[in-house]
Amino acid sequence: MGKILCATRGGEASYRTQDAAIALARERGDELLFLYVVDMRFLNRSASAVRPDVVSAEMEHMGDFLLAMACERAQKQGVEAKPVIRHGQLREELKAAAREEGVDIVVLGRPGGGDSAFVPADLEAFAAALERETGVETRIV
Amino acid sequence: MMEKRNRYRFLWALVLVLILSLTVWPGRPPVGDAQAAGGPDSGPSLSGRLVDSQGEPVRGARVTAWADDEEEPLAEAESQPDGGFILDLPAGPLPRLTLRVERPHFAPLEWRAPYRYLTALNDGQAVRLPDFEMARRITSGFWVATLTFVAILSLIALEKLPNTMAALLGVAVVFGTSFVGGAIHPDLFIFDFERALEYVDFNVIFLVMGMMIVIGIIEETGIFQWLAYQAYRLSRGRAWLLAIILMGLTALASALLDNVTTMLLMTPITLQIGLALGLDPLALLLPEVLASNIGGISTLIGTPTNILIGSYARITFNDFLTNLTPGVVLALLALALYVLFVYRREYRAAGERLSASLLARLRENARITKPVKLRKAGIVFIGMLFFFVVGERFHLEPAVTAILGAVSMLMWLGSDVEEMMKVVDWTTLMFFIALFMVVGAIQEVGLISLIAAGIKAVVGDNLTTAALVLIWTSALLSGVIANIPFTAAMLPVAGFLTRSLPGAGSKILFYGLSIGSAMGGNSSLIGASANMVTAGIAERAGYPITYRRFLQIGLPATVLTVAVGTAWLFIRF
Repeated sequence: MGKILCATRGGEASYRTQDAAIALARERGDELLFLYVVDMRFLNRSASAVRPDVVSAEMEHMGDFLLAMACERAQKQGVEAKPVIRHGQLREELKAAAREEGVDIVVLGRPGGGDSAFVPADLEAFAAALERETGVETRIV
Repeated sequence: MMEKRNRYRFLWALVLVLILSLTVWPGRPPVGDAQAAGGPDSGPSLSGRLVDSQGEPVRGARVTAWADDEEEPLAEAESQPDGGFILDLPAGPLPRLTLRVERPHFAPLEWRAPYRYLTALNDGQAVRLPDFEMARRITSGFWVATLTFVAILSLIALEKLPNTMAALLGVAVVFGTSFVGGAIHPDLFIFDFERALEYVDFNVIFLVMGMMIVIGIIEETGIFQWLAYQAYRLSRGRAWLLAIILMGLTALASALLDNVTTMLLMTPITLQIGLALGLDPLALLLPEVLASNIGGISTLIGTPTNILIGSYARITFNDFLTNLTPGVVLALLALALYVLFVYRREYRAAGERLSASLLARLRENARITKPVKLRKAGIVFIGMLFFFVVGERFHLEPAVTAILGAVSMLMWLGSDVEEMMKVVDWTTLMFFIALFMVVGAIQEVGLISLIAAGIKAVVGDNLTTAALVLIWTSALLSGVIANIPFTAAMLPVAGFLTRSLPGAGSKILFYGLSIGSAMGGNSSLIGASANMVTAGIAERAGYPITYRRFLQIGLPATVLTVAVGTAWLFIRF
C-alpha cells in the first residue's frame, strides 16, 4: 500500500483538489495524507506587537480543523486519510514532507480563480523541481 | 527557589516604590508656555518672543545684541520652546543697539532699538519687546526632508520596505544630509541629533510598550477564542446574530487592547465557525475587521493613532470616552445595518453543517488555555482601566499606568524578564522613534507650517469647514497611505488650526483626525494593519481577500461610518 500526499489550504477552492486526491487514493488503494503548512510570513505586514508563538498555535488549530474537514470528506468517500501539519514555507515543507513521509505521489491543485498558492507556469516548474529533488511522482490535478 | 523568591520580593518592592512615588508626586505642572531662560538679577535686560508667520513660537533661534562699535556681541541667548528669550546686557551707556536673530530655515532678522528703549536700558530697566515675526525660508534642506517623508510614505504603502526600515532609512537620510550636506552648504542642514530627540514623544513610546506587555500576556490565555465560540453558541446557528455579536466583540476588544492582535486571534476561530455554519467565512471576517478598526477609536489605548493624538493634544482617556465613544457606537450600529443588508443572502442560507466530531474539535480549539493567568491578568487589567479613568485627577500619565500594569502583571504571573523582552516588539517602538524624528524634520524645515497655512487659507475662520476638510481628507488618505505616519504629520497641523480657529479649543479637530484616520483605514485592504493580517490568515485557509473584494465592502462602509462619526462630532461640539 503506497502513500499519496495532497497539499491543501482547506477552503472551498481546495475541494476539487481534495476530491481528485481522494479518488486517486481509492483507485490505487493508497493511504492519503493531507498536508497543511503554517506559514507565518504574513505577520511581516503588521506594524503591531504580536506573539508569533501564540499566532502560530492558532494557525495550527485552524489547519488542524481544516484538515479534519478534509479527512472527513475522504472518509465519506471510503478513503482513510491522515492530517500532516508542518510549519514553514509551502514549497520547502512540501518537499520535506514528501521525503519524510515516504510518499509515492504528491498531488497539487491546478490554480483556479487567482486564489491558488501558485501561478500556473510556476506550478509546472515547481512540480518538476519536486520530482527532481525528491524522486517522488508529482501530479497536477 | 530562594533566588526566585528574592526576585519577587525585589519586584514587589519596586512596584511599592513606584506606587508610593505616585501618591506623593505632585504631578505635572499645568500645561503652558515654558519660561524663558535665565532672568535678570539686576541691570538692563531685553526680553521678547519669536514667532513664525502663523504666530507659532520659534525655538532654538540664536539672538545676539550688538553695539555698533563692538566686534563681539554684548549678549546672546537662545529662544526657548515658547519662543521667549532674555538678553542680560552690561550696565553702561548704550548709544546704539542692534538685535540679530538667526535660525536655520528662517530668514535672518535684524532690529535696531529705538531711542525710547535705549533710554530705558540706559536707566538699567528690564525692557519687554513686542513679538518678532520671523519669515520662513525654503532651503535645500526643506526639499530633502519633504521628499524623504514622501518616500517613506510611498515605500510603506507599496510594501517595498517594512515600516521600521523605511522610517529608519528616512532618519539616516535626514541626519546624513544635516551633518554631511550641512558642512558643505548651510542650507542643507535640517537639524542636529539633540533637536531630533526633542521631537520623540516618550509618552507614546512607554504607553505602547506597556500595552504590548499587557496584550502579550492576555493574548496567550485563549480569551479571544473562547469569546468567539460563546458567540457561536449564543447565536444558535443564526448567522446574522453571530455576525452582530462578533462585530461587537471585536470592537470592544479593539477598544481595550489592540485591533491587530484582536484580529490575529479572532480570524482563525472565526474561519472555523464560518465553516461550521456552511457560511463563506468572509461574510463574518470582513464585518469583524471593519468593526475592529472602528472600535479601536473609542478609547485612548485602542489604536496607535489615538495614542499619538492623546499624547500630543493632551486628550485623556475620559475625554475619548465622553467625546468619541458614543459616536463610535453609532457608527458601529450603522455598520451593523449595512453588513446585514450586504450579506443578507449568505446569512439566510447558513445553518449548522458540521459533524459532532468537528464541533468537538471547534470547542476544543476555543477553550481558555490558561485560566489562572487569565484571572490574574484580568484583575490587573481592570485595575489599569480604573487608573486610566481616574488617573487624570492626580496627573497620572497613561504611559505610567500602562507600565505599572505591565510590571504588576509580570510580577504576579511570575513571568521572567527574558520572556518580557520577547513580548515587547522593539521593531515597532523603533518605528515610532524614527517616525517622530522624520516628522520632526518636516516640522523643522517648515513643511507642516506650509500645509497648515494652506488649509487655513482654504477654510478661513470657519471651524465647520476645517473639521470637514480634516476628517474627510484623513479618511481618504488613510486608505492609501499608512495612517500612523500620516496622523503623526497631521498633529501639528491640527494643533495650529486648533489654536487659530475660533471655537476649536474643544479639540474637535483632533477627534476628527482620530475618526478620519482610523475609519479611513477601512476603505482599502492596505488601509490598516488589521486588514492585512486578516487577509493573510484568510488566504492561508483558502479564502483570499482580494483588494477589489475588500474595496467593494469597505469603501461604502467607510463613507457611511465616517459620515456618522462626522455627524456625531457636530452634535457633540
